[in-house]
Amino acid sequence: MKHTEKEMQSLREDINQMWKLVISQLEKAKQSFLKGDFELAREIVSREKRVDAFELKIDSDCENYIALYNPVAVDLRLVLSLIKISSTLERIGDFAEGIARHVIDDDCNKLSPELIEELLIEKMFDTVISMLTDGFVALESENTKISGKTMAKDELVDEIYHNALNILTDFLQKNPACIRCGLKMMLLIRKLERIGDRCINIVEEIVFYIDAKVLKHSGKNKP
Amino acid sequence: MIKAKNVNFYYNDFHALKNIGMEIAANTITAFIGPSGCGKSTFLRLFNRMNDLIDGTRLTGTCLLRGKDIYDKSVDIDRLRKNVGMVFQKPNPFPKSIFENVAYGLRVNNMGDKKYIAQRVEESLIASALWDEVKDKLKKSAFELSGGQQQRLCIARALAVSPDVLLMDEPASALDPISTSKIEELIHTLKEDYTIVIVTHNMQQAARISDKTGFFMLGELIEFSDTKKMFLNPEKQETQNYITGRFG
Amino acid sequence: MNNHKKRSERIAFMLFRTLGLLVVLILFWILGFIVYHGIGAISWEFLTTGPADGMTSGGIFPAIVGTLCLVAGSILFAFPLGVMSAVYTNEYAGNSWVVRFVRVMTNNLSSIPSIVFGLFGMALFVRALGFGDSILAGSLTLGLLVLPLVIRTTEEALKAVPYSYRTGSLALGATKLQTIRRIILPAALPNITTGLILSIGRISGETAPILFTVAAYFLPKLPNSIFDQVMALPYHLYVIATSGTDVEASRPVAYGTALTLILIVLLMNLLAAFLRKYFGKNVKHN
Repeated sequence: MKHTEKEMQSLREDINQMWKLVISQLEKAKQSFLKGDFELAREIVSREKRVDAFELKIDSDCENYIALYNPVAVDLRLVLSLIKISSTLERIGDFAEGIARHVIDDDCNKLSPELIEELLIEKMFDTVISMLTDGFVALESENTKISGKTMAKDELVDEIYHNALNILTDFLQKNPACIRCGLKMMLLIRKLERIGDRCINIVEEIVFYIDAKVLKHSGKNKP
Repeated sequence: MIKAKNVNFYYNDFHALKNIGMEIAANTITAFIGPSGCGKSTFLRLFNRMNDLIDGTRLTGTCLLRGKDIYDKSVDIDRLRKNVGMVFQKPNPFPKSIFENVAYGLRVNNMGDKKYIAQRVEESLIASALWDEVKDKLKKSAFELSGGQQQRLCIARALAVSPDVLLMDEPASALDPISTSKIEELIHTLKEDYTIVIVTHNMQQAARISDKTGFFMLGELIEFSDTKKMFLNPEKQETQNYITGRFG
Repeated sequence: MNNHKKRSERIAFMLFRTLGLLVVLILFWILGFIVYHGIGAISWEFLTTGPADGMTSGGIFPAIVGTLCLVAGSILFAFPLGVMSAVYTNEYAGNSWVVRFVRVMTNNLSSIPSIVFGLFGMALFVRALGFGDSILAGSLTLGLLVLPLVIRTTEEALKAVPYSYRTGSLALGATKLQTIRRIILPAALPNITTGLILSIGRISGETAPILFTVAAYFLPKLPNSIFDQVMALPYHLYVIATSGTDVEASRPVAYGTALTLILIVLLMNLLAAFLRKYFGKNVKHN
């Protein structure tokens, strides 16, 4: 293998590690939220620094790669996507941290588990985690077939989000005492919805790298 | 490994190198870049005293190799050149067989018997990534090889005498892109065993293969720093202008 | 305008071709003339016996042997000397005024008339050094005559060796002498051989330098040592064509001698060309 390819390889290994870290952050966020596990939430907060460090490292490695090796064509697309993917992953990491802080800030009346279930938050968690995993698999296998499914999952997330808004509105009209907690819950749901959008951004970047197609802002969300 | 202090060099009245200082660590690749006539090749040739072949040259300052002044009167030039190998811009194999080309340095330096020479030739050709291509035609003339192969043969020839330092004067400038890429790959692997100094016209080449880069202009060493730094965030405006192509 | 250009191009081309053909024609005419008159005289006997009947018949064997001896002797003398001095001026001496002076003098030497060499050879080798009229004296004189030619062709041959061979060799820690012996001389050998061919041709045909130093008017026996006199083909030809016992009667012998001389030179050239090719096998500069 040429030494430039080796550099690229180590760059990809870094992004894979970052990816796995962010997925595990999300999984932990889900656990800590559903179980109200403070310890786990604190762990997420402290591990967020590692996600940030990864972003910085990948950024500077990509800069060096471009400055030193003048990549073109597929190599250039990969490096450009990696820069964007790493910053997107970092944003997702921030959301995971936000969720963890939500768990830690125990400053309102708890919503009932029945309501949480009705809001389909667990499903939302599972969906965005699987979207993020889809992206990981797509890059690893250099295959964009999965992107269609990912787009469909995002629609599911959006649907849950809109339903949740309605459900919460109804609930809060009946239980004004919970309004602070309800609003915070809405913010949390909003975060999950944003994570879904970010995952779509990642998939778009992978499609740009592998198929050299620009899906962004194209209106049609299916490649 | 190499240290130059206050080096000034003159071709008759022409002041070719102006007060240059530099330190080159062992097992690194150092690249010299700069416009034509900037002195980078002259500086390179100081280290194996190839400039001595030119009449009317003069040097002040010191050049140290492993702490020893290579311009000291007691220095045996032939021995120095054995320890500091050189690869030239145009592949210059001798009009001999492939085997004899690589064996030449061993023979003239009386290094070992027939068996040892055969072994070193093989090792050197393997090290220069040429063995598989030539092992069945070692007795054939070196001129039957392609330009890129000839250049790798010249590298093998320089490696055969086990030098400490390998100087390369635009080793890939006469080659096509594929041969160039092979040579670059080779240089990169040679770093493990040799200290390499390479002059190149091709900035991307310097960026791709070197650890440190020196930028020369009009006989001065404008900037000498880590290659990454040089190509991402050079300190001097001149360097920036040159590597971005805004020169002049 | 264009037409005019084309026409002058055609005229010039015609002119050059005519002149070129003319030269070839003259050459063939001379050769044909000699072959036509000489072929009848040549026989095995002619080549292997000595002259008889006041050189109007018989063979030219002693003269052939004499010429071969002189060629060999003078090449043995001039070749090493010439090559070494060319190596000195080209590889060692740099470009000082001394070298330029030597070069000019060498060129001057080559334009000195050959009879002057003959006289000089007589004065130095025959008289002063006391070699007498001998193969040694003749070879040395002929050697001096071709020395400039050898030096010049060798210098040209050395100059044709790419400079990169020298730097390549020196950069590997070879000394200058090693570089010259192992790289430069082998690489220059084919061209040096060309110089040798020219020298041989020149030597075998020269008459004036051997006139006073070696050549015998008539000497049927073969030489025993380098201090013996010999007959030589060009001188023999001169003798029987101008001052023999019976010029008219020895005409066929004269043409036969001329043809033999030409054939010998041709043979040597062929040999040298073969050697050049043989040495040159590995030495194609790229």
